[in-house]
Amino acid sequence: MASNIDMISLLQSKFGEKIQIQPGVSGTASIVANNGLHHDVLAEMIAADEKTGIVAMTGLDFGQTLGVYYHVRTAKPFFTIKAEVPKADPKIRSVVDIHPGARFHELEVTDLFGVVFVGNEYDGHFVLSENWPDGVYPLRKDVDPTKVKLVPTPEREANLPAEGRQVKIIIGPQHPALLEPEKFSVTVDGETVTKVEPRIGYVHRGIEKSTESRTYLQDIYLVERVCGICNPAHAYGFVGAVEKILKPDVPERARYLRVIALELNRLHSHLLVLGHAGLEIGYETVFQYFWRDREPIMDLIELTSGNRVYGSLITVGGVRRDITAEQIPKIKSVLNDLRGKIPFYRKIYLDEPTIRLRMKEVGILSREDALKLSVVGPIARGSGVDIDVRKDIPYEAYGEIPFKEIVYPDGDVWARMNVRMDEVEESLNILDYALDHLPSGPIRVDVARSVPVGEAVCSLEAPRGELFYFVKSNGTDMPERVKIRTPTFANIPSFLKTAIGESIADIPSNFVSLDPCFSCTDR
Amino acid sequence: MIDLILIFRILVFPGFTFILFLTLFCDWVERKLEARIQNRVGPMVAGPGGILQPLADFIKLLTKEDIEPRGVKKAVFRFAPMVAFSIMVFAMCFLPIDGASVLSSGGFSGDLIVILAFATIANFLLFMAGWASANPYGTIGSARVLTQFLGYDIPLYLLALTPAFLVGSLSVFEIAGAAWPAIILAPWAFVLFIITLQAELEKDPFDVPHSESEVVGGLETEYTGAKLAFLHLTRDVQVVFGSALVVTLFLGGANGPMIAGLEWLLQPIYFVIKLLIVVVISEYITTVVARLRIDQVLTGNWKILLPAAIISLMITVALVTWVYNPLSIGV
Repeated sequence: MASNIDMISLLQSKFGEKIQIQPGVSGTASIVANNGLHHDVLAEMIAADEKTGIVAMTGLDFGQTLGVYYHVRTAKPFFTIKAEVPKADPKIRSVVDIHPGARFHELEVTDLFGVVFVGNEYDGHFVLSENWPDGVYPLRKDVDPTKVKLVPTPEREANLPAEGRQVKIIIGPQHPALLEPEKFSVTVDGETVTKVEPRIGYVHRGIEKSTESRTYLQDIYLVERVCGICNPAHAYGFVGAVEKILKPDVPERARYLRVIALELNRLHSHLLVLGHAGLEIGYETVFQYFWRDREPIMDLIELTSGNRVYGSLITVGGVRRDITAEQIPKIKSVLNDLRGKIPFYRKIYLDEPTIRLRMKEVGILSREDALKLSVVGPIARGSGVDIDVRKDIPYEAYGEIPFKEIVYPDGDVWARMNVRMDEVEESLNILDYALDHLPSGPIRVDVARSVPVGEAVCSLEAPRGELFYFVKSNGTDMPERVKIRTPTFANIPSFLKTAIGESIADIPSNFVSLDPCFSCTDR
Repeated sequence: MIDLILIFRILVFPGFTFILFLTLFCDWVERKLEARIQNRVGPMVAGPGGILQPLADFIKLLTKEDIEPRGVKKAVFRFAPMVAFSIMVFAMCFLPIDGASVLSSGGFSGDLIVILAFATIANFLLFMAGWASANPYGTIGSARVLTQFLGYDIPLYLLALTPAFLVGSLSVFEIAGAAWPAIILAPWAFVLFIITLQAELEKDPFDVPHSESEVVGGLETEYTGAKLAFLHLTRDVQVVFGSALVVTLFLGGANGPMIAGLEWLLQPIYFVIKLLIVVVISEYITTVVARLRIDQVLTGNWKILLPAAIISLMITVALVTWVYNPLSIGV
């Protein structure tokens, strides 16, 4: 496995002067590779390390040129491949031929910045609404979104017979079985799915653009609103990136309190999806039990942060609220209650015959496909790919806390749900450890309102998988560019892959195993 | 004079009114059980323990606006729910709730076939109700109902014949009055019958016609107001009918230890207690399993339940011929 130094020296020996390597910028190093070289650099990295995957892609507006950043994950170090294209002729070679997982990332950059990826074109809008005019790219600096004139909405796509026996069924954007607006055009041959095409962006709120006109402090609360369920993760993603530029001395106690907030969040999110999966397969009892036991965890979140859902606990320089010594026994007793119930739930998800009938051998994603599509979180770990940001790039106090990384090799819905089931138990262990070893001291330090020029990435293990933030600052109190890549965005390709060749009746249980959150994906 | 008694029997006890309230009561029992198992809370306002809640729900639905979407087949859409309900209640009248059937004390020979046919017709009417509602979810939901009951009716009929063979009669009255209830003589058939009944009543793990994540409301999607109330009531009567059928065929109907002079009181009580036991078993199964996929439901029928029912029938016939009859057990 290629280590940090290997990868840089490998690329240097291979490409020499043609690329520039900036160590320490946006990950372990940034690699400036213009003139189509980004494709070859990525190909080289994939050949050197099988775990290489595209975590996210950021588009940037430099005035005369447009920047395209490929944020690349390898087994351990984290790289950013930077390319620039002139605004007048924004054409760049696509990397989907060597890494299919890049497809939706590139489409998003096309939609928002107008960069044309040769080899990855898409008809119509991917994240923008249907009535958004062509040729207006909202995230470019010279576009004022309030002054854009919308065009009439095109007619709705109808359920059309495709070729021969194949029928195209449109699921969404408004569909009683979907909890959030998204559209899947499913082509079926009888009962068998042959093709799935997604369309997202129905609740695109332009949060990335909005962050550019707000201060860093305001942005923390704004990015928390990306997702209701995993809001502490979003707060930390933004704060983590900003702190990498600001470099404040975050107190030890705050680093543990952040871990507690993030793990409580994971706990309630996992319990939510484990119950919701039960509802999707008509197992109401499981749904009721999990959601009943999720309630005390919500109470703990209220106890520690002051609010059931939006705690707004994490801030630049530390946390905003402390856990007192009297609260710890209360928290531990609630956690112990839940721990006592785990063996029973584990038994249900491992052995219950009807659950096995509905989840075993459904939606199988092989390890190779998981790597190729760069899926993240429980989906990847359910396919035998051992990526967990908490282990790979330990952040906050995770490096000091012992815990197991859960990996199931099966790759089916059952494996994904059991990864979550086991992670609930690991979360309890982490919380216990963190509460026992809580250091004393202050919980935050004061930081400057303005952030010096710089750029940083922060990725963390949110409940649904790796959450990625990129922040570029320009010396003022407002960021120049904030890029958010939510876990569901990275996991959609896996659903498109696994649904094919299976019965249309398997779609609900396969879909829910992603723990999808489309409102976050749309941002 | 004799006519007045007959009218009382049809309209009040053990006929229409009694069946209606028994249905609502069973609905309440089901809700209570489900709430206890699943740790849920429910409304406790209407009557002690919320016992009147099903009635309140029914009355509430009757008062709601009745919407008929454009494009529905009006006649079928309007009458199918009510006719289905009436047929189910009519079929119930043949079961000896107080030791005798409602219409004539002894029924007639072969009425077992008639009431099973009624149940099938009622199911078919429900299918038509969904089919007429001009809604894709209604259509798919009712197509699922049709596929399911066409498949599961066959093992149900075969298994219903088990007690008939044991007694040597197709009369419900004679089967219920057998000295040895079928559950003792053929317990395997009882287990199979309960499983088949779960599928017939579209309860978990066989409730694919009601899978919200796939077909939304199923055949009920377009129904509102009084028609929806009758659809719900039909389903509830079906549950009671199915359970009453089990009681009649396998559990000895209204039989039990009698006190001379109190038969008129004890017989319905025994019947209802046995019925509640079946309702509880059925509801328990519903809560502890997940829903199967539609293809698994159908494979389960044709590959497992149907062969099992045939084997069960063969075993029964063999036992009756070579074991029970020589020992004079059963008849």
